Amino acid sequence: MTSTTLRSATTSRARVSTFTLKLAMAVTGWLFALFAAVHMYGNLKAWFGADAYNGYAHWLHNALYPLLPRDGLLWIMRIVLAVALVVHVVASLVLYLRGRRARGRFRRRGHNRWAAATMPWTGLLLLAFLTFHILDLTLGIAGAAEYRAATADESFAYQNTVASMGRPLAGAAYLLAMLVLLVHLVHGLWSSATEFGLTGRRTRKAWKVIAYVLAIGITVGNLTLPIGVWTGLL
Amino acid sequence: MKLTVEVWRQESPADAGRWERHEVDDAASHLSLLDLLDLLNDQIAAAGGEPVAYESDCREGACGACGVTVNGVPHGPVPRTPSCRQHLRSFDGATRLRIEPLRSAAFPVVRDLVIDRSALDALVTAGGHVAINSGTASDAEALPIGHDDAETALDFAACIGCGACVAACPNGAAHLFAGAKLAHLAMLPQPALERGRRARAIVDELEQRFGPCSTYGECAEVCPAGISLAAVAAVHREGIRAWWRGRDD
Ligand code: HEM
Ligand code: SF4
Ligand code: FES
Repeated sequence: MTSTTLRSATTSRARVSTFTLKLAMAVTGWLFALFAAVHMYGNLKAWFGADAYNGYAHWLHNALYPLLPRDGLLWIMRIVLAVALVVHVVASLVLYLRGRRARGRFRRRGHNRWAAATMPWTGLLLLAFLTFHILDLTLGIAGAAEYRAATADESFAYQNTVASMGRPLAGAAYLLAMLVLLVHLVHGLWSSATEFGLTGRRTRKAWKVIAYVLAIGITVGNLTLPIGVWTGLL
Repeated sequence: MKLTVEVWRQESPADAGRWERHEVDDAASHLSLLDLLDLLNDQIAAAGGEPVAYESDCREGACGACGVTVNGVPHGPVPRTPSCRQHLRSFDGATRLRIEPLRSAAFPVVRDLVIDRSALDALVTAGGHVAINSGTASDAEALPIGHDDAETALDFAACIGCGACVAACPNGAAHLFAGAKLAHLAMLPQPALERGRRARAIVDELEQRFGPCSTYGECAEVCPAGISLAAVAAVHREGIRAWWRGRDD
């Protein structure tokens, strides 16, 4: 193949650049990570009792009322996160295919970069978990038998969470999902140093530390919930 | 030492290629990979066969011509060392070597172990050079460069253009190579006059010919010039900067 045919083949279609797609992955990935950090912080309220947890959930449903309608803040978050999710997933698919094509017939084998290599698969597992998680604790469709939806003046998030994680399979799903999230986040956050163009030696070291601290903090904080439920502490 | 060598044979770019198996009986441990290929070729020629085509020039790690893949690893099992400086004694007693070309869609095989690295040349043509009038020798005196800057720029300039970074990348990305050029030239006052234009040209060329960087970090593991992984981030640093400023410098 000559270089001219290669060029015309790639530029004839409207094409979002790899450069832009990688930046979009990094920005939306950070958005999820920051959301997950705040979410984890909220989850820790379970350790301060059912009232603290439910009170926080109730507040979330009514935050900024009457400036926003009820559930207004939640809907803003849902829309922003849903758009980010679509961008993140579509960009990852395009990049995955571009990488395979640029590599060609002979795959690279024999490296041990499993965290980087499994990003598409840990990502898909997280997507599956997210679907289950929303069906479980937001909609109650896959929730425990005792699931109760929030009312205008009360939330049962604590009871729902404890009941859900009390089911061995659901509890295991939460546990496993957090380990998958750990791997995805550690590599994703570290990799974003490349997309944000961080070249300094100290900056990159600090970035790596931030990636590990954030990823471990989010997963360990969340993991205390299923473990708390299983040990009867929650 | 008795070695089983499986070597990639391919007549032409259009040929599908195949593995060919040879036993080499007296492979002394002080042999380099290229010495081993020479020994193998003597053996093949003596039996009336066609020698294995491979590339080499300096045999001392300076020219970047020699890269082959050994047991799946570009250049061979010794990290950050070109094929010509890899010796059998450091192969941990391996008795079976699979030797194939550096692999990537951007590097078509010309013959056997010889690949066409023109895609890297295209990056240099696009922006890996200085295209301004840099004046006379006395102008250089007027533009002092600090010692640390000069050293860092030189570290990034050490690339020998072997292409192993691309072959090590599961995505076929050339960010280590391209980033080394960008990081090197961005630090020096005269090349920096076309810093923005250079970044746009190189990023665009990367888009056309190479894959995305997923920060595997394999490139820096095989780079015989010891280019730091930080170079891959220079692609986005320079690209974002050029986009933000929208200027040639
Ligand atoms: C084991 C850890 C986790 C627990 C205990 C947990 C618990 C909960 C609970 C109780 C809710 C419902 C809040 C309410 O509406 O009252 C919720 C919502 C949500 N969770 Fe989690 N969560 C966990 C991990 C995660 C992770 C890792 C993510 C994704 C990164 C995530 C994404 C979401 C999203 C997007 C919602 C909002 C759904 C919506 O309102 O539309 N969660 N979580
Ligand atoms: S960056 Fe290193 S591995 Fe890549 S071409 Fe240059 S010398 Fe070879
Ligand atoms: S032959 Fe020149 S670098 Fe190996």
